[in-house]
Amino acid sequence: MPYTADISRANPACFLFLIDQSGSMTQALAGQPGQRKMDQAADAINRVLDTISQRCSQGMDIRDYFHIGVIGYNTDGRGNPLITSALPGTTPEQPFMLISQVVDVAEVEERQVKESDGAGGLVDVMRRFPVWLRPHAEYGTPMCGAFDVAAQALAEWVGQHPDSFPSIVINVSDGAASDGDPEGPARRIAALQTGDGNALLFNVHLSDSTAMPIQYPDGEERLPQDDYALTMFRMSSPLPESSRSQAASLDLPVTENSRGYVFNADMTALVQFLDIGTRAASNLQ
Amino acid sequence: MGLQPPRRFQTAKAGNRPEECEDASRISYPYTAGPARIALCDGASESAFAREWAQILTRAFVYSPFDLSGLDDLALGLWLGQREAEWNRVVPWERIPWHGEAKTRAGALATLLGMTISQTPDPSGACPWQAVAVGDCCLFVVRDGALALSFPMEDSGQFNSTPALICSNHTNNGRLWNGVYQYQGECLPGDAIILASDALACWILQERESGGRPWETLLSLDSEKEWSGWVAGKRDERAMRNDDTTLITVKVK
Repeated sequence: MPYTADISRANPACFLFLIDQSGSMTQALAGQPGQRKMDQAADAINRVLDTISQRCSQGMDIRDYFHIGVIGYNTDGRGNPLITSALPGTTPEQPFMLISQVVDVAEVEERQVKESDGAGGLVDVMRRFPVWLRPHAEYGTPMCGAFDVAAQALAEWVGQHPDSFPSIVINVSDGAASDGDPEGPARRIAALQTGDGNALLFNVHLSDSTAMPIQYPDGEERLPQDDYALTMFRMSSPLPESSRSQAASLDLPVTENSRGYVFNADMTALVQFLDIGTRAASNLQ
Repeated sequence: MGLQPPRRFQTAKAGNRPEECEDASRISYPYTAGPARIALCDGASESAFAREWAQILTRAFVYSPFDLSGLDDLALGLWLGQREAEWNRVVPWERIPWHGEAKTRAGALATLLGMTISQTPDPSGACPWQAVAVGDCCLFVVRDGALALSFPMEDSGQFNSTPALICSNHTNNGRLWNGVYQYQGECLPGDAIILASDALACWILQERESGGRPWETLLSLDSEKEWSGWVAGKRDERAMRNDDTTLITVKVK
């Protein structure tokens, strides 16, 4: 059965994040005037990398279950594509780092947050937050070009890890590609195979539309009113059966036709869909 | 009637070092007439300091046991409170990096299978035993060449990556009692008892469901070399999940 490969240090999986850094990402998110799409995009990447790091943490040490790449895409003022790798020491062609190296390059900020005091109240506590990506946005959206670069990098990774869990690509964008129709390049990513199945392309759609947030819709009729929702949905891979059962254990409503597409919604759960070991069921705590 | 000395085999998940194995087990086997105690825990790999927690639970089950006859929510909670304090003492709280902070505060997680076997036969000649289980480490009793008991899991479809778990942070044990299973049985001369952590337990049940007699293989394993070769073979065939794997067998003579 596909998408059941053991994820371990001997057989790691990879996440490649693609982040739209075009000018349209400076627009405010629907219903959140102070929050621009680019802030949300950087925040989403930082949170998901934090979640992956925590999943691999044993307390003191990190286990290298994952290879991670982060690629940003926009253009210069003349429309030339700028496709860059956000993790230090990597390139768009070779964007991957071990998760233990990713942890080492985080800038760690201390922030005061409110947490439950266990007795119904809230207390202020200082917590550490890792930051890898700062908000950045200007000019055009070479999504097709970014997908092509990603496909090349992934082809090399897949060649080196032919038995691993299929590569996972998470594209964060408002969907407005400026270099053509991204569905073809998206299909080239999804066509990359390991012995355990095809690569998975998930999309996190950030929009100024006031439509309700949506997670993992199972049909086009469920999509929000947005010019790019249909393209982003069609480019998104169906959630594999193994991920759907993990999603169900996290109390997320998914059906057998659900796709890896979220609209103005949190994507952190996408990295919880992978089984890397025994963990607490959400319904037991 | 009596017990032969228990045998134990353990192998870490392929790709991990032996010292990273998060299965823990303890056996107390008095050569006199006292009860034998066996504990097997599987630390949850997605929690922090799980290996330490599994070791604390197994050691305490064997050397600072709770009363299995009168076990209730309160008694278990009191016993776990002492274990939580032990775990807090071994965690290097001042040195934990950012990625381990939230996970460590949430507490380590482990399953527990504990068994006490009396070595004093009752008037009918049987030796009573008691067991408690949280999660998916399993106990099997083989009698007259057949599987007479599978506890607490009864079929291979019950295994998944979210078993019931005991947490080292009591605030996350609110519903723990719902996941506690207890059993009282008797063993007879000729019986064999098998304790297995989850990947092996699941394999045993799958084999049985397809008409096999997996206990015969397990009870005949005679050396570490034979065991590790057998486990590697089953993992290669994808017949058994690559996970920390522990087998404990006890034969009743």
